[in-house]
Amino acid sequence: MSVTPDSLSDPGAGSPLVRPPDAEADLHPGESAWKARALEYTEKYALPVLFVLTFIFFSTWSKTSSTFPTAANIKNVLGNTAIDGILALAIMIPLVSGEFDFSVGSLAGLTQVLCAGFMAKNGWPIWAAVGAAIAIGALVGLSNGNTVARVGVNSLIVTLGVGSVLLGIVQWYTSGLSISTGIPDSFVKLGAGEWFGLPKTIYYLIGVAIILYYVLEHTPFGRYLQSVGSNREAARLVGLPVERLVLLTFVISGGLAGVAGVLLVAHNGTASPQVGTVVTTLSALAAAYLGATAIKPGRFNVIGTLIAVFFLAFTVTGLSLAGVANWINSVFSGAALFVAVLISTVIGRKRAGVA
Amino acid sequence: MTTDATASSAASPLEAALRIGHVSKTFPGTRALIDVSFDVMPGQIHALVGGNGSGKSTLIKIMAGVYNADAGGTITVDGNEMRADHTTPAGARSLGLHFVHQNPAVFPDLSVAENLAIGNGFEKTAFGNIRWRAQRRRTAALLERFDIPAKPDALVRSLRPAERAMLAIARALQNQEGENNGLLVLDEPTASLPRAEVVRLMGALNRFAEAGQTILFVSHRLDEVIDACDQATVLRDGRLAGTLDGDEITEPRLIELIAGRSLDAAFPSMPASGSEEVALEATGIAGGPLAGVNFQLHRGEVLGVAGLLGSGRSELLKMAFGAYPIKSGSFSLDGEPINFHHIGQAMDAGIAYVPEDRGTEASFPDLSLSENVNAAMVDTYWKGMRLRKRAADADARTSIADFFIRASSERQKMGTLSGGNQQKVVLARWLRRRPKVLLLDEPTHGVDVGARAEIYELVSQAVAQGCSVLLVTSDFEELASVSDRVIVLANGRISAELRSPDIEPARLTELAFTTQEIAS
Repeated sequence: MSVTPDSLSDPGAGSPLVRPPDAEADLHPGESAWKARALEYTEKYALPVLFVLTFIFFSTWSKTSSTFPTAANIKNVLGNTAIDGILALAIMIPLVSGEFDFSVGSLAGLTQVLCAGFMAKNGWPIWAAVGAAIAIGALVGLSNGNTVARVGVNSLIVTLGVGSVLLGIVQWYTSGLSISTGIPDSFVKLGAGEWFGLPKTIYYLIGVAIILYYVLEHTPFGRYLQSVGSNREAARLVGLPVERLVLLTFVISGGLAGVAGVLLVAHNGTASPQVGTVVTTLSALAAAYLGATAIKPGRFNVIGTLIAVFFLAFTVTGLSLAGVANWINSVFSGAALFVAVLISTVIGRKRAGVA
Repeated sequence: MTTDATASSAASPLEAALRIGHVSKTFPGTRALIDVSFDVMPGQIHALVGGNGSGKSTLIKIMAGVYNADAGGTITVDGNEMRADHTTPAGARSLGLHFVHQNPAVFPDLSVAENLAIGNGFEKTAFGNIRWRAQRRRTAALLERFDIPAKPDALVRSLRPAERAMLAIARALQNQEGENNGLLVLDEPTASLPRAEVVRLMGALNRFAEAGQTILFVSHRLDEVIDACDQATVLRDGRLAGTLDGDEITEPRLIELIAGRSLDAAFPSMPASGSEEVALEATGIAGGPLAGVNFQLHRGEVLGVAGLLGSGRSELLKMAFGAYPIKSGSFSLDGEPINFHHIGQAMDAGIAYVPEDRGTEASFPDLSLSENVNAAMVDTYWKGMRLRKRAADADARTSIADFFIRASSERQKMGTLSGGNQQKVVLARWLRRRPKVLLLDEPTHGVDVGARAEIYELVSQAVAQGCSVLLVTSDFEELASVSDRVIVLANGRISAELRSPDIEPARLTELAFTTQEIAS
């Protein structure tokens, strides 16, 4: 039995008879009001500020100042990262309700080769290939969600296993070779190149982000997911269909992984079996967690996640332009995930008055 | 109006087992403790009582070395003095202070022997493997010394709650050199125990004290303090409100010291209410521990359900809410049969349920107070394709005022509110829906006297407006003073019914216990 500050905290209540009305005073011992507010703003905007500083750094550093702040580089990063952004948003949705979906990366890889294959190998029309790829993504999500929400298996294990199976199917379906011939030009036109001076993929990301922002922040459904993520039993006891909500988050993440897969083909004009590795999923996870430390600290949120995605992408690009080898990508994503979880845990404890 | 504690202790010929000397603690903006001094005599059970914000938690944390006090205070245990501004966990241990907290951290899936060895070390051979036989012998000796009726190999899961608490105490005290040196600090050990278990635990504490163990006992439950404690020290607003001795420890005196003014009673006496009109009726309800329960809840009535833990009292409420499967039997509401497949239907029919365990069943700690208070009505703010957050926040502010909730703003996170305020938020969440039937399961669990009075005031307001209440609480005194009628649940059935004014706590206890024993 150890003496932890937690277990010592008084479970009693604020009686008006026995305590002063200034209820805040002893909730944050050692912090005056302005200090608490300063901490709050620091938390909210630390990541955006860090992003801007990193951007300025690479724009002025002698090693990268000629290559980093160029329109070509910025457009290139935006175009490639937009799809990672969709994956980060995909992984974020189950996280809001307290579940992991580690299959989004490999699911994007699978729907990518299938979408390309349906058009190139089977000669399907574009709409059918796109529809089928997204539907397959959603179906895999439905299966994941069903196993997690209804059967009650740990989501981490389920999706890790499914992700590995999907990677194998990709290798089987493609025999390890890229699918690049037979993809209609009219399809590639939808994802490659620019509209109004910005890579086309960015517009898709913006579209997805606006819809998810609306759903999470401005609909009862979003509030329900947050309630389920905060306390599942309490959510059930205020009448929420917890199983169905959790299941739906997996359908959404699977469907979005399908969207990402389709966009990968449209953006690259080819489908590579090398896409959708562990690093893809890990980067998405890192962005979602890092995003949860910003804008609305302590909550997974769309804007924070987007900022985190681009922060990670521009930093990795800056480092590789400076001549750092490719392995930095993996190390950086992992480290970012680690740091994000560390920061949110430490800040969460501070807020609870423990640290 | 207060007893002068320092004077009474100075007159004592014995040396104190614990002496708190002029301890103060200042946090920026608040003084949590102001020059608190009192003595705890050896071999006594000494209660430390006070409302939230009274400073008792701060004092315990200073003793445990979690906080350091302001300079000038001292803590003396068995004559060894420690400066209160330099306390550390290690220092507390070396002085012989042992702490056992509410919800003692025992490991249910490990055996009694393993539980006692954890944190203390196993009996090991030179190679480092555990000498199980020696370990069992040592455990058996400890179990005997602390009079715990359990086998060393039994899984802690199979022990009764009181025995688990006793095990935690045994673990804390097992290494004392003399058997009764030092001081055992029990921080709300009974808060999560049902009544019958409390009786067992208090019996064990009395035996320890008779054997010479000094105990500092922190509790919200005044009846325990009155029954079991030799002295009681009351803190209020960080100051010593007084120390009561033996026969002086009475409920009116304690409440007066805790609250700083005399209360007529801890609970408002509810006006006799209830019409003949039946709101909720149960017919032959069976499932879980229940084997055929019948009752009628009248409109505007508070119907208490008395029963021991495991009697099925919580399951009964959950069944009426559609949150627990019913094997046979049926409920009807306003004469219409109801058969809920999910909770949403019960809510739509006008039933509300405040669950027993706020932490695991009711609070959304990461969400704001506003989001918590509105949690059962989110859909009503969905207008014109948007969630009307401003309207929701405005309603939350109204609730904060109407339900006596103390918070900095409606944006404050639920997890940072005190227990009583969280409970008022949960109550507000349901009463805002103007339910026909309110199911209350332990609504004042872990809540101090003042907040408890407020909670019942809110309930009585709802009742005055025609709400019917089905109330479960293991505090029979509370049940007796609040209910119009009480049904006693034992062996899965209603074994007795008492009507106001014939509801007496002692009678309820008797009924709940006796029937239990007849069956076994």
